[in-house]
Amino acid sequence: MEQARLSARQLFMLAILFEHGSAMVIPLGVDARQDVWIAILCGMVFGGMLFLVYYRLFTYYPAVPLTSYSQQIVGPFFGKGIALIYVLYFLYIAARVLRDFGELLLTFAYPETPLFILNAVMMITVMYATYKGIEVLARTGELFFFSLYLTAFLGLALVMMAGLIDVHRLQPVLEEGWKRVFKVVFTQTLYVPFGEMVVFTMLFPYIHQPEKAKIVGCLSMFLSGINLAVMMATNIAVLGADTVSRSTFPLLNTIQEIRVANFLERLDVLFMIALVVGGFFKISLFFYAGVIGTADLFRVKEHQRLVYPLGLSVLLLSIAIASNFSEHIKEGLNIVTVYMHVPLQIVLPLLLLIVAAIRHRSSRFFFTKQEKSKRG
Amino acid sequence: MTLVHMMLLSGCWSKKELTDLAFVIAVGVDKKDGKYVLTLQVVNPGNVAGATQRGGGSSGLPVTLYTSTGDTLVEASRKASKKISRLTYYAHTNLVVIGEELARDGITEIFDAIERNPQFRTTASVIVARGRTAEELLSVLTPIDKIPANQIIKTLEMTEKVWGENLNVHAGEVIESLSLAGKEVVMSGFRLDGNRETGKKTKNVQSIDPYARLRAEALAVFKKGKLVSWMGGEEARGVLWILNKIHQTALNIGWKEKKEAVSYKVVRSKTEVTAKMSKGNPVISVVIEAEGDVGETLAPIDLTNPTQIATLEKKIRNEIQKEVQKAIRHAQREKSDIFGFGEIIHRTYPKEWKQMQRVWDEQYFPHLPISIKVDAFVRRTGLRNKPYFQ
Amino acid sequence: MWFQWKKQLKKTTKRNEQSGQEKNGINRTVESELQRNIETVRNTTGNSVDVVIRRFLLGKEEGIPAALLFVSGIVDEEMIHQFLLESVVQLTVPSSYCREEALVYIEQKIAAAGKMKRIKRWSELFLALMSGEVILLIDGVPEALSVEAKGGERRAIEEPVTQLSIRGPREGFTESLATNVAMVRRRIQNPHLWLEAITIGEVTQTNVSIMYIKGIASDEIVEEVRRRLQRIRIDGILESGYIEQLIEDQTFTTFPTVYHTERPDSVAANLLEGRIAIFVEGTPFVLIAPTVFIQFFQVVEDYYARFDIATALRFLRVLVFFISLVAPSVYIAATTFHQEMIPTQLVIAIAAQRESVPFPAFVEALMMEVTFEILREAGVRLPRAVGQAVSIVGALVIGQATVEAGFVSSAMVIVVSITAIASFATPSFAIAISARLIRFLLMVLAALFGFYGILIGIVLMTLHLCSLRSFGVPYMSPLAPLILSNIRDTLVRFPMWALTERPRLINQTNMVRQGNDQRPKPPNQPEKEGDNH
Repeated sequence: MEQARLSARQLFMLAILFEHGSAMVIPLGVDARQDVWIAILCGMVFGGMLFLVYYRLFTYYPAVPLTSYSQQIVGPFFGKGIALIYVLYFLYIAARVLRDFGELLLTFAYPETPLFILNAVMMITVMYATYKGIEVLARTGELFFFSLYLTAFLGLALVMMAGLIDVHRLQPVLEEGWKRVFKVVFTQTLYVPFGEMVVFTMLFPYIHQPEKAKIVGCLSMFLSGINLAVMMATNIAVLGADTVSRSTFPLLNTIQEIRVANFLERLDVLFMIALVVGGFFKISLFFYAGVIGTADLFRVKEHQRLVYPLGLSVLLLSIAIASNFSEHIKEGLNIVTVYMHVPLQIVLPLLLLIVAAIRHRSSRFFFTKQEKSKRG
Repeated sequence: MTLVHMMLLSGCWSKKELTDLAFVIAVGVDKKDGKYVLTLQVVNPGNVAGATQRGGGSSGLPVTLYTSTGDTLVEASRKASKKISRLTYYAHTNLVVIGEELARDGITEIFDAIERNPQFRTTASVIVARGRTAEELLSVLTPIDKIPANQIIKTLEMTEKVWGENLNVHAGEVIESLSLAGKEVVMSGFRLDGNRETGKKTKNVQSIDPYARLRAEALAVFKKGKLVSWMGGEEARGVLWILNKIHQTALNIGWKEKKEAVSYKVVRSKTEVTAKMSKGNPVISVVIEAEGDVGETLAPIDLTNPTQIATLEKKIRNEIQKEVQKAIRHAQREKSDIFGFGEIIHRTYPKEWKQMQRVWDEQYFPHLPISIKVDAFVRRTGLRNKPYFQ
Repeated sequence: MWFQWKKQLKKTTKRNEQSGQEKNGINRTVESELQRNIETVRNTTGNSVDVVIRRFLLGKEEGIPAALLFVSGIVDEEMIHQFLLESVVQLTVPSSYCREEALVYIEQKIAAAGKMKRIKRWSELFLALMSGEVILLIDGVPEALSVEAKGGERRAIEEPVTQLSIRGPREGFTESLATNVAMVRRRIQNPHLWLEAITIGEVTQTNVSIMYIKGIASDEIVEEVRRRLQRIRIDGILESGYIEQLIEDQTFTTFPTVYHTERPDSVAANLLEGRIAIFVEGTPFVLIAPTVFIQFFQVVEDYYARFDIATALRFLRVLVFFISLVAPSVYIAATTFHQEMIPTQLVIAIAAQRESVPFPAFVEALMMEVTFEILREAGVRLPRAVGQAVSIVGALVIGQATVEAGFVSSAMVIVVSITAIASFATPSFAIAISARLIRFLLMVLAALFGFYGILIGIVLMTLHLCSLRSFGVPYMSPLAPLILSNIRDTLVRFPMWALTERPRLINQTNMVRQGNDQRPKPPNQPEKEGDNH
């Protein structure tokens, strides 16, 4: 752990940037067609429940990150195992998001540039941020929070001014009933981006006012859920469910539709800002969690030492995980969800919580007994 | 030093200098002997007026035409490099022209390349070359807007706005219509009048009355991606009324014994289409609201009299209703749901739509009961309230 | 290598210490015999002609041999005459006094002089002598009397050259520390305005003063400033820039973390905000610490003009900063990577201009930017008359001829000109110059990766800015970390009555600037004005 303190507001903004991160640009949950916004909102609700699990764990161990308290809960041996799994998970997801990011950039603007170069440039930035520590990242987050929101509002205003929104495209609501929605929720939107809040188990110990952690988490998830739902609904209202479900980047297509006053058109740069800034924060937080976790696990005093070796591994991993985009996406939807997101975002935290709860109860029981015996 | 080398030699993978690009402003697609014929209208930046700073002045032509053939559009586009010294660049392509022959053959497949290419914008307008190939339509020099593609787009936009018989359709809308079961493609046609050979030369733009000129034509009605008929005049305007695309237009109404006596300028209009189910069968209702002024009278009418105005309004309503009915009748005859009524039913009655979907074009649409309700208002009468003649 | 270097460093410090001791070789005290003392002075100063040794007999009657030492040019000659007149002509040392007591008598009796001090050590004596004091030596007294008589020719107070304003005081600092301090004192007439003096520079012995308002400035930061100043071991301080570079938190950054100003009103305003001013003898530039980024976009006039205007201007300045930062790189990125983002008409117009340009856009932009930087640098150093010729050559040759010759497109010239104007419109030169450096970096990134490169560059720059601190205060505060109560005076400026709090730096106690009911009201209600703390 670094010597750092984050205010509740900073954590809130980081969480928002993190949630929006890549979810903003990818076709999030588009299998639900025009009901995608419902799927996102449902994902948000269930994600919020998961978050309460993480939060409860934090209240038991407010001073240390997940990698430390896992050892306190299930003992050093299993605890270290769990911590290691989480560290690898964070680094792997960082590599995945980096790959996503590189692929998106490649398809839409730099078809001839090698993926490695684009990823490397991003990774250098991420490594610099991690090297500087969480406080610097949080402050940068505050600055970009506003610029990103400004960009988003500008984009939305332009879409409206261009008269592109046709609300009828969102109809029929729940065409195939709740089944399709829930299928999307439990295979996609719950885990990305809401379940990924598990990263914040590594960041909560930094919070200056621990009592605000709950409200910070819930509020940020609520707000980003609403934002993402509004955004995907806008995409569908502009493009139609069919185009959105076939598109690699619905947001880009929506922005490309904008034509206002004959010169405000071709605003791809807005999309690029969202992509780079969002991608940067998402990768940075995952990577930072991985680095801090490693430092915590192996008792490395200065996490800065780990930045270069781990950064390089993440970069190489991002290239190596798949040979083409389709394979990458397929892996993400099938393998990662089943073998990583479900156990690490839901099962393990729940198990840890149960064990921790039992331990706490028994220890409290134990203490009260001791006190009684003393008095007696 | 190494850095500079890196940048100049290897560093710029996706770099494209402006001087290495051929800006394709319009694409024409035809089919010949089973192969696609791609016609590219490429801008010569140095010759476009306003940019005559250097590089030959305005003596040269603003655009050049290239054609190439291939089994796929991408192949044809790549093959064009044999003739063009620069990289063909489609990000500024604002116009796609489809030859009539190809349109009758079917346009469903050609949009995939357009949609997939990140350079290509789905906001490009799409038109059909009536009675011609796309190549022929694109090989005419135009006088006011030096770039013929711009001339076509601006004409289309302007006439849609002030007259309302043509529709400026974007590639994105065409793709959406093609993908939806309850909507068919409709787009504008363009016609080439006059001497085509002279139209290719500068002589064309040096004449006060160009030898060859381009004209916006009737609407092309598609069915399952194939051109089936043309719809012109009042029918076409009827289509725009239903699609809520009328911004402004002018209608002529008879007064007493005189036909076409009053000209009514529409300045604002709004159409709402809703679907209902009655006894298991869909019913569509179209509600049109128009507002406008009196632009011209050829008969002595006292427009200070509100009852006169009321009579006038009634006549206008009938006129609009007549146009809309004509359009619907034509579409129903062709069994092509260009108005997207099916899609409206899909949105309101998703369950019922599932059964109708397959046979919509054949069974339901041709006999669809459609109620039309028109509200027209004369708001103002211009600077005079009575004509100077009696 | 590192080790060796460290070793060498150690050696040098040792040598420095030694030389310090050598100097302390004159750590002896003043002797009683006048002649010997005079010789010591002569030897130490190497018979410098400007060190004047005026011998005379003290007192009206019998007269004690005495000598007056001063350095001509840096003392007030008028005062020396007065002093001489009083001591020689009018003074009568009562015979009851022994010689030792004569000095004390003079110190008490003579009114013509200001500050007086008795000195025993030679080192002190020379310090006083060289800083413009007059030294009185009396035969038979092992002590000297130093009399404050600083003076001499100095530049008069003039309008500040680098920070002009339309509304606001017209006076700027001069090279004299005392004058500068006085200018600030006149603005803040309060006993809590504290001034601490410190001498820095082993050879130059430059006077440096720290000024702050006790009770408003945080003691912690004052202590930190003091500590950093005391740590400085250098042979000379010739300008406040020396100090700035020796006390800043981080050296490897292009952004200035210490603010400097020529305006006394600016210093006063900063002192009232709880900051600390560092005055250095011999320069009109006063340092202000701690500094935050946003200060470089604020000028004193913002507070003299009404708030709406001030806010609009601040937005303009930040916009201008961004333009000067990214304009050429955006041009490069747009014309070589993202041609699809330029409207069709415009891209054709630019393409037409570039038809005959033989260079890639990056080289074209780099060439023009470097040319501009050369022109600017040439213009700054040259005498005014020649400077005009440079600007003519710049405007005609670079601007017109290159375009006509087809070396550069006119779009590029427009971009370069806009960048140049934007760079001049940035209120602080210090920040404008760092923007210029970063601009070149962004141009390279843009040439490599287009907009992606620019965005990455901006993210990196923001990260860097957020990692900076100035005397422990985060550089980007109050924007990041966000301090809501201080946002009122950052990019925006709220009306005067709403600025109720001082900027939060570190551990201040006195945060309230004015009461909450300062909003002006129509005349039937009583109106209060001014800020009393």
